[in-house]
Amino acid sequence: MRLIYLLTLLVTLFSVALSAQVTVTGKVTNEKKETLIGVNIQIKNSTQGGVTDLDGNFSIEVPSGEAILIFSYTGFQTQEISVKSRSSLDVIMSEATQMINELVVVGYGTQRKSDLTGSVGSIKSADLQKIASSNITQALQGKIAGVNVSSASGRPGEGPVIRIRGTGTLNNANPIYVVDGLILDNIDFLNSSDIESLEVLKDASAAAIYGTRGANGVVLITTRKGVRGQKAKFSFNAYNGVQQVGKRIGLATGSQYAELVNEFYNNVGGTPPYADPASFGAGTNWQDVIFRDAAIQNYNLNIRGGSDAMTYSISGDAFLQDGIIRTSNFNRYSLRVNNEYNLIKGVKFGHNLAFISSSNNGEPGGIVFNTYAADPTIVAIDQNGKYGSTSRNSNVSNPAAQLEYNSYNRGYGQQINGNAYTEVYLIKNLTARTSFAFNSINNRSKSYEPKFEVDEKQRNIQSRIAAEFSRFNDWQWENTLNYSREIGKHRFGILAGYTQQARSGERIGGTRQRLIGDTKEFYYLDAGDAQTATNYNIGINPEKYQSYLFRANYAFKDRYLFTATFRRDGSSKFGALRRYGNFPAFAVAWRVIEEPFMKKLTFIDNFKLRASWGRLGNDKFPSDAAIPTVTNNLSAVFGSTESLNFGASLISLANPFLQWEQTTSVDLGVELGFFKNRLTIELEYYQRNTNKILVPVPIPDYVGSASNPYVNAANVRNSGLDLTVNYRNSVGKFNYHFGLVASTLKNNVLSLGTGNEAIFATATRTVIGRPIGSFYGYKVAGVYQNAEDIAQHPAREAVAPGDLRFEDVNGDGIIDSKDRTWLGSPIPKMIYGFNLGFEVQGFDFSVDFNGVNGNKIYNAKRSARGFGIPNYETSFLKRWTGPGTSNAEPRITNGGFNYQVSDRFLEDGSFFRLRSAVIGYSLPKKILQHIKLDRVRIYISGNNIFTWAKYSGFTPEISSENVLQVGIDNGVYPLSRSWLAGVNVSF
Amino acid sequence: MSKPYFFRIVASVVLVFTLVNSCQNGSFLDVKPQGVINANNYFQTQQHAIWSVNAVYNSMRDWNLTSFPWLAMTDIVSDDATKGSFPADAQRLSAFDEFTWDPGYPEDIRNSWRGHFQGIFRANVAIDGIPKIPVMDEALRKRTIAEAKFLRAHFYFNLVRWFGELPMITKPLNQDEFYVQVRKPKAETYQLIVSDLTDALAGLPEKSAYAPEDLGRVTKGAARGLLAKVYLTQKDYPNAEKYALEVINSKQYDLLGDYSKIFLPEGENSSESVFEVQATALEASYAGASPWNMVQGVRGTPNLGWGFNLPSDDLLKAYEFGDPRRDATVLFVGEALPDGSGIVEDNPAIENERYNQKAWTPTHALLQDNGPSNIRMLRYADVLLIAAEAMNENNKAQLALTYLNAVRGRARGTRRNILPDVTLTDKDALRQKIWQERRVELAMEQQRWFDLLRNGQAEAKMKTLGKKFVNGRHELFPMPQTEIDLSGGNIKQNQGY
Repeated sequence: MRLIYLLTLLVTLFSVALSAQVTVTGKVTNEKKETLIGVNIQIKNSTQGGVTDLDGNFSIEVPSGEAILIFSYTGFQTQEISVKSRSSLDVIMSEATQMINELVVVGYGTQRKSDLTGSVGSIKSADLQKIASSNITQALQGKIAGVNVSSASGRPGEGPVIRIRGTGTLNNANPIYVVDGLILDNIDFLNSSDIESLEVLKDASAAAIYGTRGANGVVLITTRKGVRGQKAKFSFNAYNGVQQVGKRIGLATGSQYAELVNEFYNNVGGTPPYADPASFGAGTNWQDVIFRDAAIQNYNLNIRGGSDAMTYSISGDAFLQDGIIRTSNFNRYSLRVNNEYNLIKGVKFGHNLAFISSSNNGEPGGIVFNTYAADPTIVAIDQNGKYGSTSRNSNVSNPAAQLEYNSYNRGYGQQINGNAYTEVYLIKNLTARTSFAFNSINNRSKSYEPKFEVDEKQRNIQSRIAAEFSRFNDWQWENTLNYSREIGKHRFGILAGYTQQARSGERIGGTRQRLIGDTKEFYYLDAGDAQTATNYNIGINPEKYQSYLFRANYAFKDRYLFTATFRRDGSSKFGALRRYGNFPAFAVAWRVIEEPFMKKLTFIDNFKLRASWGRLGNDKFPSDAAIPTVTNNLSAVFGSTESLNFGASLISLANPFLQWEQTTSVDLGVELGFFKNRLTIELEYYQRNTNKILVPVPIPDYVGSASNPYVNAANVRNSGLDLTVNYRNSVGKFNYHFGLVASTLKNNVLSLGTGNEAIFATATRTVIGRPIGSFYGYKVAGVYQNAEDIAQHPAREAVAPGDLRFEDVNGDGIIDSKDRTWLGSPIPKMIYGFNLGFEVQGFDFSVDFNGVNGNKIYNAKRSARGFGIPNYETSFLKRWTGPGTSNAEPRITNGGFNYQVSDRFLEDGSFFRLRSAVIGYSLPKKILQHIKLDRVRIYISGNNIFTWAKYSGFTPEISSENVLQVGIDNGVYPLSRSWLAGVNVSF
Repeated sequence: MSKPYFFRIVASVVLVFTLVNSCQNGSFLDVKPQGVINANNYFQTQQHAIWSVNAVYNSMRDWNLTSFPWLAMTDIVSDDATKGSFPADAQRLSAFDEFTWDPGYPEDIRNSWRGHFQGIFRANVAIDGIPKIPVMDEALRKRTIAEAKFLRAHFYFNLVRWFGELPMITKPLNQDEFYVQVRKPKAETYQLIVSDLTDALAGLPEKSAYAPEDLGRVTKGAARGLLAKVYLTQKDYPNAEKYALEVINSKQYDLLGDYSKIFLPEGENSSESVFEVQATALEASYAGASPWNMVQGVRGTPNLGWGFNLPSDDLLKAYEFGDPRRDATVLFVGEALPDGSGIVEDNPAIENERYNQKAWTPTHALLQDNGPSNIRMLRYADVLLIAAEAMNENNKAQLALTYLNAVRGRARGTRRNILPDVTLTDKDALRQKIWQERRVELAMEQQRWFDLLRNGQAEAKMKTLGKKFVNGRHELFPMPQTEIDLSGGNIKQNQGY
């Protein structure tokens, strides 16, 4: 202890002694001697700085005469200038076609892009705003090489599934999001106008500073701050648009369905029910009943600026979206206040705070599948207002009745998050920072179902209310020390830190029936009959983390760059002995361009080689997976009064020996710049090996566990190439640009642990040597045309002419479960995107395309049969009805072998899409001066304008959080196409 | 001192304290599960013994133990019942009418297997845990273990009759034991069943010795009755006779006067009840119910359920002329419901429409999903018929007739001209007579398929009905394919699959 106090004293003394502050003033201009307003000036190796005023002047206090100032300005090359004890400095900045020295945000700091040794992809704020969505990650689609963004649904307010460089675990493979330092699992609350920059940390060297949480990649988001010395600047952004379902599915009409049903009964036995199928005509197209053109709107107003003592940024945002399925919507209102105060020399305080209020209404459960499957001979609603019964034949609820009776599914959320921090300049080149961040979410939900009866299956015998309130809290305390120095040709920086994080939450809710009224004011539990009350209050197991972090950067002659990173993480999810994991990473880079022999090659402006190695961890699995718990309320009935007797037991097995999943990642990259960096190319090769993957391994049923225990079982490798090409040039006033990203991905399971041959899931299997969750089932060889055909080929018992003939894969002359085989992978082999655009005379135009290639989709909604006769796709009309009629679609039956998992339901998942197109016009400066505005731009744009895909479903983007069940379409909420008109104004 | 220096000093001190704190803060990561007991802290108090056993009873109301899987593999597969509902509804279940099931299809075979082993798991947890409770009432300790053992025996008895050789799971398995289990000879399973039931018999009270609030827990009588049936199944007739007689001589049970009342709510836990799964329809939730009523209820009007497991033509023909048990077992179209609340109307979508009246239940809270009927697993009449069958085999035909006729007499009631007493004493003829009596007395009570298998009648009976029963194959259900896949071949398939 004594040693520690001595250390305190020393640090204190140094900090007092070494502080000779100097004021530097000056002016910043461009090469034409025009003054530049709002140029960012940063004191190197500190977070302090300033900006130039309206006349291009600046005044800045530097800690010493040896300080280095970094001048950066959008569209110009960043410059570093040593003060060298001067008190005045005039700076001329030169325009850059491509900003090589731009700063990028890295974990716990920023770095010059040229100094990067790891793999970091970034996207500009303007690109984020091209896509109209509640979730900004939607805008990443096709924008960053190696980042695969796919929508799990088009439901308003729902985010996509993101995979960074493949699927590195069989468990939760989502990246983490770090918003102004706060580590989060989702960023549904953010709006795109508030975002300054978004960076994706792809390799271990970049992500290792996030140790435990970094294995699936890290998305770093910096929200917009005010600018020092800039007078208040207002901007207003708004758009308004309409969304439509992108594609409808061809389904059998009323008369076609009636014919099919008659044929069904002829085939399986029973009396055909329809005497005159033709009389039904087109019948009801249920897609017309549930889909609508839906509005989408966004309004954002913000004010930014700063004085010497503080900077401020205040923004308000309203996002309002109706879903393309009736009754669904999502609305979000948010307010963000990002301020920083320099009230005392050498000490900075600041906060980034966001207040979000959202509400949504969910569509009736299962309505997409019901719409697909509902009996088209039935009218949605007859003249007397009675809903038709679709459950009798098709065994699904009438979607129109669902829209009336099952559409009160309200959710409300209040979220406050952000951080408060202080940064203290301790001694020369050393700053300490402490930041307390928090995320507090309060949700409530209510759903109400009235008493109704459509038919004996679709009905509710008494009105019912369900309510839930929940809260989730997350706090994080981070303390870091930052030291950096430049000595001659050596530059180095050291970061050390200690962090703690804790999460907790609980949910409380209940249900009651027989409400005393049916209107909204009665939607409270107490308005229901107390005898029918149920309730619950569930505690969510706390999760805690404690971590130590360290990073060292070293650059020699700006040519040879080294980075070493280390993080030690402790997680409460593990037993006491296996709690801590160590995660190191190393990277080197060689800026070949700086070598003397490169000087002759004038057309090359950048040439960098880099390599990194590192180890990361993943602990995204349920917090009780290692600690077995006793399940409550397994009650039994006893006694003459038939009362419930409380019961509790262990019903599932846990695994106290769980350890961290470990991802070892290697990245090799080359960066090239040509023709004054008009053309830049970045090519990377990566390989990620994940060991000890925690997975709920299916165990035999005889074990008796109600769920499968987690085991450190598997080992998966992802490897591929990421290519990014950008070209930007101008001819006179015509500026144009072109960009391309493409990534290949090879996903391969290397082992599954001893004793496990495969991990089984619906329609998929995960085995060694194949991608995770590969489709597994029968191969259709054709349709048995007649009895002779059955006799000639291997056949199961009980097949009839018209049934599918599966391939006898193992050639043993019989068709049984051993003939199932590999049918493809749900993981794309390649993802790509490209964009092009130009600006001329105030007009801007851009288009973005993206696509995936090489994956398969299992169209599970087509195979869902067995209860009733769901409607058929028009493709089934070409079914087998007699010898020679079809060799692909079998005769009509329900369930049975024809509907077992086979390539009959497997479709090509590749698609290519016009993701967005924007045409904008900015008013010329002359007019703006008259109306005293800085900028006015109007635009129209479209999202998901056209998709080229073979897939027959609503959308070829079929995804799932569950990595073992990706690419299975059970009837997904379709993605919409939208058309928008918008305006950007600032003054 | 100026402010900046002051802040630097404060910052330095805070920094150092943080460092010190970080190195000492070992307990920060200790968290406790919220609102649930950590399994390592279970089995500490007497309550835990009762809770863990209640949880085993709870599994008896599970879908897999009461609904499609249970009904399909007991009644539908037999000559007593057909799948029911309209042809397209859960068409996979027609595999049980048509004998077209295989190791992967329909899923109900696997669900039955899984449901029973999940029950066994909970029983194992109790049997393993209760002895570890440091201090508790010793009589209660004995009783609760006995209850769990009885239920485990019940689960294994069903499994061994359906699947033959079984992996023997008698404790919660460790991770290294998951995949290495192999199927053991049937004798080992029966050994476990007999020893569990013998232990249960020793530890359980008689029915009358339970407090009223414990009505429905398993009893000495249930253990004896099940032992009798287990021995009968093994053709150990002296022991079957012994335990059946013990039930009879315990004076705890009596036949209920009116056969048609046994399955009404008033017949729950009647004098005839030896073992029945307890259920009730609560107002607020389904927590006390099972799907057993719903699955078998009238489909259409009055709407009571899904209309599966319909009594077959063959069953109707099995009744002697005028046997009132026929009308008490089968709910015909046009017939008034037992409580007079409605008449069953014709539903044209359903062929051979008639329902299992034993699964009928009056209107209750939350309607059909909230099935309140107790499931009668072992009735006194069943025990009497076991006694009769065993005694006939033990060459005590006269005594056998007493019990057989007791059952017939009750069915006959006050009507003299039906169901005359049986008098024949020829062993083979009497055996057939007793089997026939079992069929009609216990029809639609999920006993029939087990009896057909036990009596070796399954093949002949199924072939008479034109079913594709394959000798050497359909006597047993196949091992679920997943078990074979997951065990890497340690679990071997049954013959013929």
